[in-house]
Formats: sequence, structure tokens, C-alpha cells
Amino acid sequence: MKRDQTVDPAAHAGLSRRDLLKVAGAAGAAALAPTALTASAAQPAAPVPLPVVPVARAAGPLMNLTAAETEILSAMVDRLIPSDELGPGALEAGALRFIDRALSEAESQSADAYRAGLAALDRYSRYSRGAAFAELPVRDQDSVLIDVQTGAATGAGTGFDGSSAGFFNMVRDHTWQGTFGDPQYGGNAGFIGWDLIRYPGVRLRVTDEEQRMLEAEELEPARRSAYDFGQFQTGRPAPSERGR
Amino acid sequence: MIKAAGLTIWLAVAIGSTGQPVVGQPVGIVVESATMAAGQPMPRDHSPDGRNESPPLAWRGLPAGTRQLAVICEDHGAGNPPPWVHWIIYNIPPGASGLPQGIPFDPADPMPRGLERARQGNNGWGLAMYRGPAPPPGTVHEYEFTVLALDTELDLPAGLTRAELLEAIEGHVIGRGNLVATYARMPAAAGIQ
Amino acid sequence: MPQQLRAADVVVVGLGAAGGVAVLPLAQAGLDVVGLEAGTWLDRRDFAPDEIRNNVRDWPMLVKKAELERPTSRANAAQTANQIGSHPMMNAVGGTTLHYWAQSWRLNPWDFRVVSETARRYGRARIPAGSTVEDWPFGYEELEPWYDVVEREIGVSGQAGNLRGTIDPRGNKFEGRREREYPMPALRWTAFHDRMAEAARGLGWTPFPGPAAINTAEYGGRAGCGYHGYCNKGGCPLDAKNSTHLTTIPKALATGNLRVVTRAHVTTVQVDGEGRVTGVNYLVGNNEYFQPARVVLLASYTYENVRLLLLSQSDAYPNGLSNNHGQVGRHYFSHHQGGAVSALFPYDLKAWYGLPAQGVAVDEWADDNFDHSALDFIGGGNLWAMSDRRPIGAASMSTFGRARAWGSDWKRFIHENADRSHSFYIQKTTLPYEDNYLDLDPRVTDALGFPVIRITGEFKQNEQRVAAFVQDKAEEWYRAAGAIEVTRAGVGGAMGASTHAYGGTRMGDDPETNVVDRWGFSHESPNLGVLGASVMGTSGARNPTLTAQALAWRTAAHLAESWSSIAG
Repeated sequence: MKRDQTVDPAAHAGLSRRDLLKVAGAAGAAALAPTALTASAAQPAAPVPLPVVPVARAAGPLMNLTAAETEILSAMVDRLIPSDELGPGALEAGALRFIDRALSEAESQSADAYRAGLAALDRYSRYSRGAAFAELPVRDQDSVLIDVQTGAATGAGTGFDGSSAGFFNMVRDHTWQGTFGDPQYGGNAGFIGWDLIRYPGVRLRVTDEEQRMLEAEELEPARRSAYDFGQFQTGRPAPSERGR
Repeated sequence: MIKAAGLTIWLAVAIGSTGQPVVGQPVGIVVESATMAAGQPMPRDHSPDGRNESPPLAWRGLPAGTRQLAVICEDHGAGNPPPWVHWIIYNIPPGASGLPQGIPFDPADPMPRGLERARQGNNGWGLAMYRGPAPPPGTVHEYEFTVLALDTELDLPAGLTRAELLEAIEGHVIGRGNLVATYARMPAAAGIQ
Repeated sequence: MPQQLRAADVVVVGLGAAGGVAVLPLAQAGLDVVGLEAGTWLDRRDFAPDEIRNNVRDWPMLVKKAELERPTSRANAAQTANQIGSHPMMNAVGGTTLHYWAQSWRLNPWDFRVVSETARRYGRARIPAGSTVEDWPFGYEELEPWYDVVEREIGVSGQAGNLRGTIDPRGNKFEGRREREYPMPALRWTAFHDRMAEAARGLGWTPFPGPAAINTAEYGGRAGCGYHGYCNKGGCPLDAKNSTHLTTIPKALATGNLRVVTRAHVTTVQVDGEGRVTGVNYLVGNNEYFQPARVVLLASYTYENVRLLLLSQSDAYPNGLSNNHGQVGRHYFSHHQGGAVSALFPYDLKAWYGLPAQGVAVDEWADDNFDHSALDFIGGGNLWAMSDRRPIGAASMSTFGRARAWGSDWKRFIHENADRSHSFYIQKTTLPYEDNYLDLDPRVTDALGFPVIRITGEFKQNEQRVAAFVQDKAEEWYRAAGAIEVTRAGVGGAMGASTHAYGGTRMGDDPETNVVDRWGFSHESPNLGVLGASVMGTSGARNPTLTAQALAWRTAAHLAESWSSIAG
């Protein structure tokens, strides 16, 4: 994908204001009148004090992983979406609980990949950074994970036999599902994930007025699971088991 | 060009970044490192076999009129097409005589004193940081650290690719120097599990 | 030995978009119809707005038949084909219409006459080398009344652009003349759509809302769309998405002339000594049945239509049913929908609530709507600015090189930008070629031991040039609306399997190059009909479903009208 060089009027924290490196043909953009929609560009989003959610960071004993495996996975998930000044992260959201439940049902075929991958991650961590993953300073954990993500942590001696990127992507995908998915599956506790991305919540019907309110930043988030609607009985047999 | 122990001397005609000859005074930047010797394997801590930290670099012989510096680390034997970029860092003030080991890779960590305005571009993995050699096991690759001297102080944003950087500094490069080190993946040392 | 059942007049194999429509005119005509569907009934209680179930865990694969007969795919004949990861279509009463995006377009008149129009305007030499494209056996005008009846029976919402010859600037000025307005007004626009429309007008383009098989008001006794945001690969919890299981199938059942059999896995079509079809064999679990019928209509989607024909070999058809001319599987292609263009905006789009059928269309760069004299390709693409955003997908967005994809820096990025990205997937003219075809895979079989379909297809130079050209237009549009980053995906590559798969049983007058005639009946076996996009010879810059449905209704109506001559 070709990256582009353009003016960035809303540079986020830590970056200097961009120069125009290439004429962006912005005559059209300048011609459009500002609206409520574009007003949000004027103030770059500052870290919002998100509601404090009393959710334990530790998931308790998991059904599908040993205590040692859980410690490594917990440290990894904690770096993927950390708890920081912007608010709680994946552990508080219950991502481990989501992953454990997934390994018991829809993702049961991934249990071996988790065990092998977590062991390889720990081996690679000792080999390259000189300590078990869970015992490294957080910055070293980040550096390890970057190498696992790019696939550099691959090959004889590093711990991973095949590409380490496959293991990274699996854990990343599941952590995202456990943070931003419906709470029905065990994650997104207290709607930590949905609040982080400012998702206004599950509704079955969004009226014209509600859309207008959303655009005017007046719509309160609806904090509920899809399954809080009585219509979607979770106890129904799957279609393949029904008579019709 | 004559290469000897990290010293690159440009004779009467130096080649600028776009491949066009730049006729002028002989300009040669000497690039050295406390941990790397020219043509020799670099330490594993500059690779994912170790801590994967950017190596220390030192330079001298900047041409008169140098206002800013940029550094690129690339492997001409990798990438489709080559080169594969391992590191790009720019907005380096002319008073800096080098870079310490381990330039931070997280935007929240402060840059070393004197390098507060330095910015890192996106390497081949799309990451604004140094990521060291990871050649296929059994192969030896060369890694070229190039220092570029610019006649202008540019305020470049972070995250530029190699192509974007070269386009931005086109016409401003008044000197260059390099240091080439090698690397091959090292298997686990005995006793390390 | 299969158990022989009571004979029917017509057996329809597959009750999705096309089969689900065809059963209505047949049942209304008093014919005794049996509809065989590999899937089951689902209803709105199954359709929770649940991204993990719908989009992550691929719930449409509930019925295993489609998954176990996944095609293999390769770019060209020099390669070995590998089985695709998941089948794009769903087995159910209503088929993929249960969860599809429900965009419901008519083709433009040019799409029916690509060869003659290109020859007229630019010269015959401009037809791309290696393409086997033909004019359709009829023009848009022939299909117009069938588009009309399906739009009314299904319930399609939209804004007319050419009403009885009068251009309405609120609609598509390039569309073919329509005799009646849409049954319902178009889906609403958000403020972002308004902005995109304004930007398009600033470029001199004529934006308009897209048509959808989705209620925007109460219609058919069901409510209008709720814009809840889970329409993509999700069923509708309000029954506002006009799947055939809510519209034409129940109406057909109400006549008393339709019997629906679910979990029916059709294996072969049977023929008699003269090569006329006599019925189909199917399995329900381990029980095998033979359903005799005077007419057989295949409506099991492109891949399975072709596969059933190729697997139904007999003395009369040693290479597969209706394949004595070697045309089954030929002239196959899938829509070039790749080459996506993505953008990052410096403001929230408020796109959480919406649906992929809700959006702003621009047809300036589609088909032959612009002068190609100085260009090196024919055809074009439809630009479609829609709404489609859900939490996990949004949190997985590209950071456009501005942040690492995880960690604290990423948290700051996503907190600001989760609602600020947009993508065009751009549907483009795609033509059939000699080199792109379907056949039976020589190695891979389904659970019953039957070979699966092998797709051999790659996008040719014409389509890649169309893609590059329309990507430029897409970027121009994004920047006019204020985008600060625009990226593009590559335009070439293997076709793979697709929800927009065409050809394989092409419709045309010439039996040497087409499988079915202008009414949809086999040139070789006159009481065998085929429904679905497998009969279409060109794609246009459009979703295929409404066209496949209009053709299906027309085929069924013709069958009812000409019953004795076809059924024998």
C-alpha cells in the first residue's frame, strides 16, 4: 500500500506538525463548509478520564492453560492493550476469560497452538533478552513482542519453529475479540473496550433523531450486550438441530 | 571509491542521493561504531537474537554548511525490490557527533539529550524504530549504515518511508558516509534454553 | 436404491436469491413445485447483532454442505489449485439473502451490449484480447418489466434517475429507463454521506443514493430498517432485509402449490434416453431420494450449478449434463472488487450506525459512461461510499503508518481514530476470458467423495487498468471530502472464490458458445433450466443479485406460459 504525504492538521500527541510535502489538491477540501461533523477535528481528542471499573486484572485459574502458561499469556495481553493513563486495558476487560472460554468452544482447535506458542515465547525471551517473559521489564517485553510480530523470532534456537507471526496474530486477534466483542463471550467487561473506541452501543433501531444526536455528540452510549434483548434467546437449539 | 577500515573517501565527483553526479569539493564523512567494525559481524544485541537495540554510531568530517543529518540502515540483499530498510532516523542536529546505543522505539520514551527533535521513519516492517538483521538462517547479509549531511534544517514528520525521506531531502545532500557490518543468525548458545 | 417420490411438475434446486424468487410465479401459475434446499429455516431470533458470531466466527457456515464442498482456486492453468478457506455462500431457506448486503441494482443498458457498443464507439479492436464476451441475447428493455416485478415483490428501496425518459437529478442519470418509481424511497444518508455527496458535486459528478432490497418504511407487513450496524453478514432482527424467506417463498407456500424440503443435498440430475431431464437425486442425512419432475431448475449458485452439471454424467452426456458443446464452466469470472482504496479523515464519520447498502453512489466512471477514446481499456467502476463499522473491525483498522498496532501509543490512536477511516471496494466491469473457467478438481473431493469445483481465474490487463483508473477517481473523491491519508491495495491477482461469481452456464442464442438459451433453458436438454448469475455474460459495475432475480422470474414466467412445449 502506497503511503501518502499530506498535511496533518490534527497531529496526535508526540508528533510535530507536518509540512506539506506534496500538493494534496486540497482545493476541494477547503471549499467544503465546516459542519458539526468536521467540528470534532478542531480539538484533537485528549485522553478522556474513562470510568474506573472495578474489574480484577487477574482472570483467576483458567480451564485450558496451566498457571505458568497463564502468567505468560497475561503478560503478553497486558502489553498488547495496556492499562495506562488513558484507562484500563485488555486484562481488566477480561480478555483472558474470553480466550479461556473460546478455547473451550469455538477455538478449541487452537489450544495446542497456544501451548506451543507460549512456550516458544518464553524460550525466545530467555534466549534473546536473558529472562523469562513475565519477568522482563515492560519495555523489553514490548521489544520481544515486536520481534515475534514481525516473524524475526523464528528459526533454530529462537524458540519458534515456524513463523512467530502466526502465534502473535492469533493472540492479537483473540485479545481484540475479548476486548471489543460482545460481553456475552466473557470479555469487554464494563464495556471497557467499547468506551475506548467511543462506540455508542448496541441498538436494534437507530431513529433519525438518534443519528442526529450522535452526530452532535449528544447521544449517551447504550451499554448493553446484544443478548440483553429478549428476542435473541441464547438457549435455543442451533438451526442444524431444529426440525425445520 | 576507496574503502578502508570504515573510511570512505569520495574523489573528485561524489554521487548524490538521486544518482546524479554532484561535482564539488571532496566530501567524506567517516562513520564508526563502538560495537561494530567495517565488514565484520555486528553483535547479536543489535539483532532479534539479542536485545535488538540500535547500535551506537559516531561520525566526523561533516562538510561545512551541514545543517542537519539523517541516517539510514538498509540491506541491499533483501526486499522486493531491494533494499530492505531496518532503520531511518532524521532531524538530527548538526552538533550531534553520533547516536548512542538503543534509541527508544516507543514514542512515550524520551530521546537522548541533544536528540529531542530527532524522528524515526518507517522501516520495512512499517515500524518507526530500529529493527535489526533477521537474515534467513545459514546466510550472511550486509547492513549498510549511511549518514547523510543536509544543507538545510527540515522539520520532517515521523513515519516517513525511505522513498519519502529521499524525496524530501532531494537536492539538500552535501555529504555522506557509511559503515557496513554483516550478520548471520546465531543459534542458541550452549546452556541457554 | 433411492426412494422414488411422487412426481412434481417442477423441482427447484436451491432456495436462495434466484430459486427463492422463481418459485412464486410458478406456484401462482398453478404448477406443482418442489423446492429442495440444503439448509434450514432461520428467523429473526437467530439474528443477534453480534460481531463475534456473524463476522469473526463465520456463522453462515452453520450448515456443513457448503463448507465441505469448498472450491479450489488457482490463478492459471500453470498452477495447482488449493482449497479456499471458507465458502462465501450460505445454505438456508433464503440462502445468502439472509445475510447479504442487499444492494439491489439494475444493470446499465451498456452491460447488455458490450461488444456492439464498443465496436460502434471505439472499434472492435478495443475488445480485450482473449475475452470471450458476447452481447446478451436481449437488451435492458427486455428485462425492465422483470426488474420492476421483482422490485415490487421483494421490496426494493431507491431513487429513480430515469423515470419514463425524464431524468431526475436526485437519482442516477446514467441508468436505463424505468417505467415506475421504486416501491420505497432510498435509505437515509448520514452527515458523512451528505459531505461525500457535496464533495462529489464539487468535482462535477452526480451522486445519488443506492438501491437496496431493504425496507425504508413498512412494506410487506414488516418494519423499516433500523440502521443498527450489523447488516454485513448478519441477518436482520427486524425482518427489514427482504430475503426470499420473508417475501417470495412464504407467498408461494400460501398458494398451496409449493413444497419445501430442507436439509436436501442434491447429488445428481437424472436424464432419460433422449437426454431430457427426469428429476434429481438427493440425500437427507443418509437417506437417498429420487424426486421425479417434468422440469428441473438449478438455482444453487454459480459454483454448484456448474458442479451439478459436470457430476451428472450419462450416455447422452458423457462430459456432464448439457456439456456436449464443452461450454459448462466456460466464460466464468468473478467481479473485480479488489484494489480497495482506504482513507483516514481528521473527523469522526459517525458511521457506527448504518449498513453497506446505505450510501452515496457515483456512476460517472462506470461502464461506458465516459469517453474511452484516449484510454487503453473498456468498462469502468461504480464508486460507492457506504457505512459499515463494528467495534472489533474498527479497533483493527490500519494505523496508516502513524502508530504501532498495539500498546499505549496505539490506544491513543484508536481512541481518536476508530470512527475516522473509510474504504471503497469498487465494483468494476469484469469480462469473461478464454483462460478463466470452472471445472472439477482432479484431487480434492467433498465428504461424499465427489470432486469439488476448481476455479481457474485471474484478473486480466483490461480489468487491472480499469481498477487503476477508478482508484485515481476514488482518491480524488476522498481528498475532496477532506481525507488526510489515502492508501490503495494492489489491482492484480487471482480471482479466488467470490459472492459475485458469473458465467459457467452462460445464456445466449448460440449453442456453440452458451449453455442456456435466451429464456434460461439448456440448448441440449430443453426441460432443464438454470437460474442465477451463472447465466450472466457480463457483470457491469453492479452487484448481481437483482439481475439474477429478474432473470429467474422471467425464466419461471416463460416456463409457466410455455409449459407444454418445455415440459413435453
